[in-house]
Amino acid sequence: MEISTATADSAEVIRCEGRLNMVAVPHLRAAIESAVEQGQPRLVVDLSATTFIDSSGLGALVAGLKRARQAGGDLRIAGGGEQVRMVLGLTNLDRVLRPHERVEDALDGW
Amino acid sequence: MAGDGEYRLEGLAVPETLDLLHGLLARAGAEHPDITPADLMMFETAVIEIAGNVVEHGVPPGEVTYGFRLVVLPDRLEGTLWDSGAPLPEAPLEQGSVMPGEWREDGRGLALAGTVLDDLSCQRVAGGNRWRMTRLRRSRA
Repeated sequence: MEISTATADSAEVIRCEGRLNMVAVPHLRAAIESAVEQGQPRLVVDLSATTFIDSSGLGALVAGLKRARQAGGDLRIAGGGEQVRMVLGLTNLDRVLRPHERVEDALDGW
Repeated sequence: MAGDGEYRLEGLAVPETLDLLHGLLARAGAEHPDITPADLMMFETAVIEIAGNVVEHGVPPGEVTYGFRLVVLPDRLEGTLWDSGAPLPEAPLEQGSVMPGEWREDGRGLALAGTVLDDLSCQRVAGGNRWRMTRLRRSRA
């Protein structure tokens, strides 16, 4: 998993490329924490190149969502293939982490 | 491949094990193109959750060994995972079968695996635990 960050005008975009599992989760958590600590609690996690997510990855997204909201921001997700969307749906997490089609869509309103 | 339609893997149950399992399932899918992508995706999701559970909660940490066998049958995918960890609490699947609320950060793995499988069981066996996972194949290409 490659995790990279890019600063958009109004948010930090964290791109997760590959499998978001327990190996990658510490890196995602660190990227989220770093952005919030640097004063940017508006986060978009770009899952368009994420090929697989497991429950530890879901846990990291929920933790990130809570962290961002506590800091006055939010965490939105974008992209996500069939497996990602299936897992979000089966765990009911799509109620709080509704996938946006593209990063641009997730940034809308910020 | 241990036999036609049979795949095996064994080693130390550490996080990197998950990548080996992904690789094994990808190979099985490539060698059995009649497995539908949906069946393979759901089975893979379950296998990784169960293996991840062993990696994360196996006792003693970092010392648990595992063996995995996948059998591709015309009507189903069968996975068996043995681990050398301390015996699991009674009825781990009953305790873990309820999907947690949206704001919980953990506890989804076994519930998710149970959702995408047709049968999931866990037994204490001599020297560890044995997980059995079955997904019936919905359709064939």
